[in-house]
Order: sequence, then C-alpha cells, then structure tokens
Amino acid sequence: MNRILSQAQKELAQFSRDRLTVALALILPLGILLIYGYAIRLETKNIPLAVQDFDNSPLSRTYVERLFATNQFIPTPLAGTSPLSALDRGTAKATVVIPPTFSRDVAEGSSTVQVLVDGTDVNNARVIQNSIRGVTNFFIQSLPNISRPQGVIPRIRIWFNPGRQESLYIVPGIFGVVLWVFPSMLAAISVVREKEQGTAIQVYASDLSSTEWLLGKGIAYWLVAVAEALGVMLVSFLLFGIRLKTGPVPLLLGTGIYLAAAVSFGLFIGARTGNQNGAVQGTAIAGFLTSFLLSGFIYRLENIPFPLSLLSNLVPARYYIVLTRDAFVRGTGWPGVWYVPIVVGLIGFLLFKVASKILQRMQLLD
Amino acid sequence: MPLIRRLLESRFWALMLKEIRQILKNRQLIFLLTFPPTVQLLIFGLALSPDVDHLSLGVADYANSAKSREFISALVENEVFKVSSYQTNQVALGRQVRVGNLTAGLVIPPTFDRDLNEGRSAEVQVFVDGVDANTAGIASGYLNQIANQYTRRLNPQLTSPPVETQTRFLYNPGLTSSWFFVPGVIGLVLTLTGSLVSSVTMIREKDVGTLEQLLMTPAAGWEILLAKVAPLFILLMGDVLLASAMGRFVFQLPFRGNFLLFFVLSGLYVFVSIGIGILLATLSRTRQQVVLTSFFFNVPIIQLSGAIAPIESMPPFFKFLSWFDPLRHYVAISRSLILKGAAVDALIPNIAVLFGFAAILMLISISRFRSQLN
Repeated sequence: MNRILSQAQKELAQFSRDRLTVALALILPLGILLIYGYAIRLETKNIPLAVQDFDNSPLSRTYVERLFATNQFIPTPLAGTSPLSALDRGTAKATVVIPPTFSRDVAEGSSTVQVLVDGTDVNNARVIQNSIRGVTNFFIQSLPNISRPQGVIPRIRIWFNPGRQESLYIVPGIFGVVLWVFPSMLAAISVVREKEQGTAIQVYASDLSSTEWLLGKGIAYWLVAVAEALGVMLVSFLLFGIRLKTGPVPLLLGTGIYLAAAVSFGLFIGARTGNQNGAVQGTAIAGFLTSFLLSGFIYRLENIPFPLSLLSNLVPARYYIVLTRDAFVRGTGWPGVWYVPIVVGLIGFLLFKVASKILQRMQLLD
Repeated sequence: MPLIRRLLESRFWALMLKEIRQILKNRQLIFLLTFPPTVQLLIFGLALSPDVDHLSLGVADYANSAKSREFISALVENEVFKVSSYQTNQVALGRQVRVGNLTAGLVIPPTFDRDLNEGRSAEVQVFVDGVDANTAGIASGYLNQIANQYTRRLNPQLTSPPVETQTRFLYNPGLTSSWFFVPGVIGLVLTLTGSLVSSVTMIREKDVGTLEQLLMTPAAGWEILLAKVAPLFILLMGDVLLASAMGRFVFQLPFRGNFLLFFVLSGLYVFVSIGIGILLATLSRTRQQVVLTSFFFNVPIIQLSGAIAPIESMPPFFKFLSWFDPLRHYVAISRSLILKGAAVDALIPNIAVLFGFAAILMLISISRFRSQLN
C-alpha cells in the first residue's frame, strides 16, 4: 500500500512539473465545456419566415400576425416573386403562402395554406411544421361562429424541465464527454511516456508489480480527474445555472467510479500502444467519438441504428450521462440510476485488469 | 514542351518526388488518410439522428373502453409513439416516467366515454419527460395534432377544418437525418484529416531533425513548403472522392448540384485544412503537442460550423464567431450543392471567404516557415 502511495506521489510531482499537460488538464476541459455548453442548441428560436399573402385581407393579416406573435418566427422579405427564392438563398427557413381566396374559403369552411419548409435541418423542419400547425389551430379556435367540436383535449405537462431549457440537457451531457476524454488521455500519456523514456524498464526490473505500478498512476490521475470534475461542475453551476436536484450521494459515488473507469481506459490504451502519439490519438479518437456520438449526448440513444447500438452498450459515458442528467435535471435518485455505478465500475475494473495483464507480461521475474 | 521539361528538371520537382516517396513509405500516413475518415463518416452519419419516433409511451387507462382504446391506437398509428407499458394507476405510471423508463405517460380518466357521449370534451393527462428538451417539444406538438385529428374523426359532420396547412419539405422531403449531417461531416472529416496529416508530416522532419537540413539547401522556403503540400493535396483529394462515394452509395445523398464544382470547392477547402495543419506544426515542437493543440483549433472549428448543431440556434456571440470559421463556409457550400443543387452565384460569398482563408493561412505558414530559417 505504501509503495502504491509513494508511486502516486511521484506521479503527481511529475505531473505538476509538466506545464503543457497541466494546462491541457485544466484549460481544455473548461474550454470544451464553454463551447459545447453555449454552442450546442438543437432547437432554433427566431426562425426567419417569409409570408406571401395573396389575399391581403383583414383575416389573412390576422393569421400572419398570429404566426409572428409566437416569438418563434421573425418576418423576412420574400426576395422575389417566387415563394422559393428566399428559401433557395437561405434567407428564410420557411415560406407561408396564403391563397387569394383565403378569406372566402375560410367563410365557406375550408381553405388550404401552403407551407414550404427548408428540410435541410431535419430537426428544425419538424419544429417549424409543428409550430405552424399549432398556430393555425389557435387561429381556427379564435374564428367567430366556429362550432367548437367536442373531442379529446390533451393536457400536456412537461416534467423535470418545464421551460424546456436546452442547457439543462446539454451541460450534464458534456460532463460525460469531458470527464472521459481528458482523464484517460492524461493517464495514457503518462504510461507511454515511461515506455518511451525507458523508465518503464526500470519498473519492470524492480519488484514493484504491474498492478501496484498502475494503481499508483491510477490514484494520481484519479485525483487530477477529481479536480477537473470539480472545476467543470463549478463553472456549470456559475455559468449555466446547473443545480443539484437530488441528494449528492449518487452523483458523488457515480462520478468517482466514472473517473476511475476513465483513468483505467487511459492506462489500458497506454499499455497497448508504444508511443505518445498513438496514445493521444487513441484516447482522443476512440474516447471522443464514442462518448460524443454513442452516448446519447446530443440525440436520443434509441436513434442509433442496429450494429452501432450494440457498441453503444459498451460506452460508459452513456450510463454516466443518465446519472448526471438525473442528478441535475430529473432528480429521481437511486431508483433511476442504481445500475450506473455497477456497470461503469465493472467496465473500469475489466479495463484495469487487462492493462495490468498486458504489463505483467513485460515484467522481469526474479 | 519546354515548360514541362523545366518543371521536371526543377528543384521543386525533385523535392516533390522525395515527398511522394516518403509518403508512400509511411504506412501510418496512408492509414490516417483512409481509416479514420471512413469510420468518422460512418459513425457520424449513422449515429447522429434527431428523429422523433417510437417514443415509449405508458398508459393508465381508467376508462378501459372501446373509445379509449381507439384513442390509444390513434396515438400509435403514425409511429411517433409506441405503447410500451400499461399501468393500472397513475402513480405507477408517474414512477416509470420518473425513473426514465418511459418518455411519456398518458392518463385516460374514467369519465372519458361519458364526457364524449354527453357531448363534452374529454381531457386526458399527458406527462412528457422534459430532460431531452428538444424531443419533448416535438413530441408535445405531435400529441396536440393527433388529438385534433382524433377529434375530427369523432365528429364526422365536420368535413375539414376551416384552415388547413399543407407542408412541403424542400431539399429533403423525407426528412432523412443523414442528408443533413453527412454533407457537414464531409467537411469535418476533411478538416480533421487534412490538418492532422499535414501537421504530422511537417513535424516529423522537425522531430527527426531533417528540417534543418532541408532549410539549409538552396531551395527556397516556399519551394520546400509547396513540395510538401502538393502530394498531400492530391492524397486528400482522394479523401474527397472517398467521402463523396460514401455519401452517394452508403447514405444515398442526392448530389443535386454540379459535382465538378463540388470537387473543385472541396479542393479549395482541402487547402485551408492543410494550412491549419501547417500552422499547428509551426506552433508546436513535438507530435504530441500537435495533437493537443489541434484540440484547441479543431473543437471550436467543428462546433461553430453548424455541421453538428445548427448555427441558427446558437447565441448571438457564437453566431458571430462562426463567420470566422472556414468550415462553416464549406458546410454551407457542401449542403447547398448536395441538397439544394445551388448555382455558383449563390455561393460566391462563401467561396470568397474560403479563398481568403486559404491565402492567409498559406502566407502565415510561409512566413513562419521562413522565420524558422533564422
């Protein structure tokens, strides 16, 4: 135990002497938090909408007013005579074409308004379609002498995030990405550096076992990772208004285990690769791609198609993001996340075992 | 053909042959040019999907009648929702949503039939998991529409609503999500690969120490640089073809615009990405530093480009920053040419900016290259 701790101490001393890695460890996670936290928003507000009103009657103008009263659309000129020209130029995301017979048709009970939507951004195309339909419905209900049909009225309540703030969805997800990529990268570099500089041979020749060696490194980088986690969460608390919604125990325990798993992943990559570039690229590409794309960070996990969805089951970030979203948004606590520390811990343990197996083979026996 | 002979006898040609020979010998470089781009395109193209369908819905049906079941089947009809559990009471249903097993819960009150039969409107309660704000918004929009349609079905005397909207999605009528992402991801892949490959080849000479030797030869700085860039450029154009072929055959992108124009403009962007790589290499001493500093460049470049999340939704400051992102302009070009079939004149501003970036980056790298000489 003592040997492990002194190994950890040595590792921390070495870490703090290398300016570049210290900067990497502390600045990069915050930089990524800021960029992702501010720049990833899926739903567009202020959608530029052009209207071609052939009717130009009081009724059609009321309809147009309703459209812009939602604060979701901002009026944009048509840029030509064709309803398509503004869309082709990209100055409008949708064009509403009101037919010349609009008010007459409405009085007679049926009219059709054409809505042309730029389908390039698939998600916002859906948002636009939905809100124009919603506005149209409100408009119909406000029409005089309309017999309101008896039917089903859904009373929709949005739970956990009633204002539908996207930052509450994105920011806890960033924790999953950042706290995986950087701890693992640092750990991987530290293993490989010893290999490159030849100090690993001294360790192989000493009576320090590979498990002890890796544990010492692991503890050191786990502590660095904890500092990163605290920094990232503190900044999110201050800038993005992220607050704990439940008792802190699941988050603390889960984060501790997640960081340990991330460090183990780094040790594993470090044990596998021979040079620093390979280590950095391995953790950057494998860690980043999987925790960014296969974790449900941006879009729903269920949307990942079949062969990839199997792979996503092995991505610890996917479980940890469930836990952070629970801690900061949902607030259910253990009943919703009990399995997260178990699965993540298991993956981390396996990675560590494999890493120490690989290094054991290098060990010189006496 | 004196011009060709002059080229073949020039110092530049000799340098370029040396670079080509070096690249062909470098297995790792060939790997970096083929494997990561393929994997990135596949994973980004397949995994990024904002579709809102088959949301798991839980139902607590207190009415349990033909009418209520009809309403539930109306909800699942267009596959936005799928009923994944029936609960006997509201509390159990709420617990399932809280735990995260269900995206939405529907409570049909016992008075559902009575209300409808007696000519009143029946209220049903729906709770939607709002953690995923975007999905929750779209799902509740759909819920309202489905309830409206159902209402219409209950009242056959109403033929059609007084105002009906007819939506047409242009450029991507099926709302295929890969059509949105893949044109952007092609740019992302070119950025990552171009900057990585060029910085790695530059830095290797530094690492090995042969750069000093090269700089001591009578060759001018620009000759050395151009001889390094030209073969990389050709190889990266191979990546453009690879990415386009995958876009066409794996993701069925329509490529509505002029493909030659797309190819040429991609070439322009490849120059920009090589420029970024050279800049990275002149900023750092070792390969490890290159990869680390590339994080500082590539993450913002990718994130502000609109390749992954739409620029329109960014806050004003980031929207403003994105104008200085070369990838933003390439993504705009790529989407316009692949999806919209735009003509050149609509793309002139973007092309001009890319030209500017290519020129500035090349000038910076030549001057920094020269300063290494001293």
